[in-house]
Amino acid sequence: MSPVDAAPSPGEGWDFSDDSTLIRLLARNAESFPDRAAMREKSKGIWQEITWSELLDIVLSFAAGLESLGFEPGDTMLVVGDNRPRLYAGMLSAGALKGYAMPAFADATLDEINHFVHEAGARFALAEDQEQVDKMLELRAQGAAIEHIVYDDPRGLATYPQPGLISWDTVQIRGAERLVQDPSLREKLIRRAEPDGPAVFVHSSGSTGKPKGIVLTHRNFLAGVRNAYRGGAFGFDETILAYLPIAWVGDFAVTLGAGMALRFTINVPERQETVLHDLRETAPTFYLAAPRSWDNLLTTIQVRMEDSSRLKKAVYQFFMSSSLAAERRKLDGKQPSLGQKLLAPLGELLVCGPIKDQFGLSRLRGAFTGGEAIGEDTFIFYRALGIKLRQLYGQTESSAYNAIQGPDEVRLHTVGRPLPGVDVRISDAGEILIRSGSVFGGYFKQEEATREALDGEWLHSGDAGYLEPDGHLVVLGRLSDVVHTARGERYIPNYIENRLKFSPYIKDAAVLGRDRDSLAAIVCIDKEAVGLWAELRGISYMSYADLSQKPQVADLVAEAVRHVNGTLPAGQQIRRFVCLHKEFDADDGEITRTRKIRRNVVESRYAPIIDAIYDNRPTVLMKAQVSYETGEVGVIERTLAVQEA
Amino acid sequence: MLYRKAGIFHTDYAADRALFPIPADRWTIGLLLLIAATAPLYMNSLYLSSYLLPWLVWTAATLGLNLILGWAGQFHLGYAAVMGIGAYAAVHAVRTGIPWEIAIVLAGFTAAVIGIGFAFAALRVKGLYLALSTLALQFVMDWTISHVQAISGGTQATLQAPDIRLLGIPITSDAGLYYIALVWCLLVTSFMLNLKRTALGRALVAVREKDYAAAVIGVNSFYFKMVAFATSSFIGGVTGAILIGTFYHAVTPEQFSVDVSIQALAMVIVGGLGSIIGSYFGAAFILLMPGVMNSFISWLANLLGLSLSLETLAHLPQALYGALIIVFLLVEPLGLGKIYNNIRDYLLVWPFGYVKK
Repeated sequence: MSPVDAAPSPGEGWDFSDDSTLIRLLARNAESFPDRAAMREKSKGIWQEITWSELLDIVLSFAAGLESLGFEPGDTMLVVGDNRPRLYAGMLSAGALKGYAMPAFADATLDEINHFVHEAGARFALAEDQEQVDKMLELRAQGAAIEHIVYDDPRGLATYPQPGLISWDTVQIRGAERLVQDPSLREKLIRRAEPDGPAVFVHSSGSTGKPKGIVLTHRNFLAGVRNAYRGGAFGFDETILAYLPIAWVGDFAVTLGAGMALRFTINVPERQETVLHDLRETAPTFYLAAPRSWDNLLTTIQVRMEDSSRLKKAVYQFFMSSSLAAERRKLDGKQPSLGQKLLAPLGELLVCGPIKDQFGLSRLRGAFTGGEAIGEDTFIFYRALGIKLRQLYGQTESSAYNAIQGPDEVRLHTVGRPLPGVDVRISDAGEILIRSGSVFGGYFKQEEATREALDGEWLHSGDAGYLEPDGHLVVLGRLSDVVHTARGERYIPNYIENRLKFSPYIKDAAVLGRDRDSLAAIVCIDKEAVGLWAELRGISYMSYADLSQKPQVADLVAEAVRHVNGTLPAGQQIRRFVCLHKEFDADDGEITRTRKIRRNVVESRYAPIIDAIYDNRPTVLMKAQVSYETGEVGVIERTLAVQEA
Repeated sequence: MLYRKAGIFHTDYAADRALFPIPADRWTIGLLLLIAATAPLYMNSLYLSSYLLPWLVWTAATLGLNLILGWAGQFHLGYAAVMGIGAYAAVHAVRTGIPWEIAIVLAGFTAAVIGIGFAFAALRVKGLYLALSTLALQFVMDWTISHVQAISGGTQATLQAPDIRLLGIPITSDAGLYYIALVWCLLVTSFMLNLKRTALGRALVAVREKDYAAAVIGVNSFYFKMVAFATSSFIGGVTGAILIGTFYHAVTPEQFSVDVSIQALAMVIVGGLGSIIGSYFGAAFILLMPGVMNSFISWLANLLGLSLSLETLAHLPQALYGALIIVFLLVEPLGLGKIYNNIRDYLLVWPFGYVKK
């Protein structure tokens, strides 16, 4: 914990070879640092510590106990629950026995789990508590082959008569007895698993069809961790908070992959609801979260600031706006102004430092966002706060680590350079291909899908993207969303639309260009934001339609479009756009209820606009259909100006 | 603003119950202790022996009285008498040849025994009646001390206290006396700090909140009231002895008259019932503010060129000082300690408005 013993000691550290297993690395940690904390779990009011040697004992005795229950190499153990030290230990035990640990989301429905269980013929289940045990029992009643259900928390389970139910404690004690009787068993269990044996059995996200089973080996994870270490994602002895769902590959790659190899101190929150509180208490040095979590945290900070006193709000606004402006200049490649530089230390003392402290972000060395694109405002806010938030690009198939941004060379639209040890190539179809030691060997029992995904050593990521001249990787989106222009230029409408929508003034956008020469956009301004903007500048307007056609508003939107264009390669820039005189509305069928654009509806209904754009006409008379809440349908007629970006 | 709480976690219950879990608090206390320990090096002897030293001794007394008033919730209008018992006991003990170290402890026990004996009778009543019966202690003690020649040496007599000797070494320097006061004050402070987290402390608080409710949950309220009186009297007795040994060097009945009792009471109330930091503030306020006010008024009169009559100069500071007490108690009825805590809380949640649960 203190900086003195946090210094990595050469000779005791991992040698970065991927020719090892997680259990062997755990054993090495237990030998070198037997009394240092490996895991902490908030329980009964304090952080209960498990040292490295204790963790090794737990893992080995559970493995021995599991084996005595009949767990054989190739067997699958379903692991279901929230983050718990014992579930993590159980996954390591299954890996040590050459079996598959298959984590599932704690809130997964029966159907989802059923699919997992049948796919692998799981005979074992490790359940967190009564709730999960009930699920397992129901699965069994539906015909699943689960024979043994091991549970961590015995609360409420004492009177369950079902056969095959056994508590973690019993299994561990049974295993510990075996270890005492046969002293050579310890070493055998540590040695048994092979580097190419399974470490974990996870599933692809399933955003395109049914989740596919993915077995990642010890070697995959260790190669991934080594690449990420060399790329500067983390160092030895980081402190982390293990709060991500255990079924997500990112959690395994950080908590158990990097955690064992680089001997992290793994803090396990008390409950999902207490994560924010536990975050402050543990103050991790490495933190990976989805963009949505960063957004939520930002909202929490803003709402709590709103609730604060006037003085505090004024101080906050003063320093934050200076810091945000400085950060925007940096993002544009400029230096912060002298005034901003002078204010920064005071702002850190008065505003940024306290806020980071309130949320336990003050010791962060590695702050990462991954999974999808992050909004510019969110991104800049955290950078302005002094948290070097970086983007990470990874996939389940490649053990989570492909590319990261460097701490000081951040651009919003790239995900950084590929990690050392990761080769990235762009296929002719524009797909990102990845070659690395961390790439998996194939989908579980799905040879066709494997053939599609693996081309020799190269993994087809399924993502479209390109490499910038300086080596930074840009991920555009799923390849299946790619559209081609008449000139053969590839682009993903969704990617550009999302970036347009990062502007507060743009509520919706539809990017056009399929089989056309250049790209164009139909933009719906945000009524609240643009309305306020207009009021503050004394621009009078009568209605949304009126506001949308004001020349000043057109300039405002053009600026936002140009800003997005600046991050796009030449062929994908938006040349012309039209501010629509109405918002996209689910009642009119232009968007779905979840606000996803229905491209065919937009393209057919606004065909006159699209024609006008590509015919280079300056204006267009548009009749738009409007559905009122009474069910009547009206028509709005309006002359719209076509703007040059 | 200045406090940082991220990364504070506890892996055992002892650490979880630590007095000062926040590093900023520990730094502040360390700094204050350093300032206090090195005070004789940079402070001139007038300030050291006539401001700092009495402040520390009176803080110890305030803490002792706060034990009864703030923790156990029992009135006590005769605290000066308790201190007087200690003072006379110590002086007589030393004069008969008992070393100071033992005499001081003896002073505490004498005060505790008389305190208990008295409390045994007085605690049969509650509230205002208790207040009156403790006032009776004051008058009985005043009378006894001044009228029993063996104690006071006569009605108008002043009893000279021999110089303090510790382990045979006479301590006469200002710095030496100051350190005695400092050590005693710190001892009492750490006792009171730890009292909060003992069974005794919790029992006292239960008795304070409602004595028969405490009895219902199995806390013998009479017993704990007695313990509170005894402990508080012990602290008072020792403090009285130290006050004589380090500050007055002689003892007369007037030093422990009813006025002094009221003053001690004011220190507790202005500082804040049940507040330790408040006891420091309260003692400083009551002890030092009249002097500060005096100099302030003279300075102001000089500045404005006003010539105030001697009478006005004597009374105006008193009036202002009284008004200040009222203002402070209006702003925060729980005293200066609570004001300090409010400021601390403000900084703890900075820049947010409140703590979100």
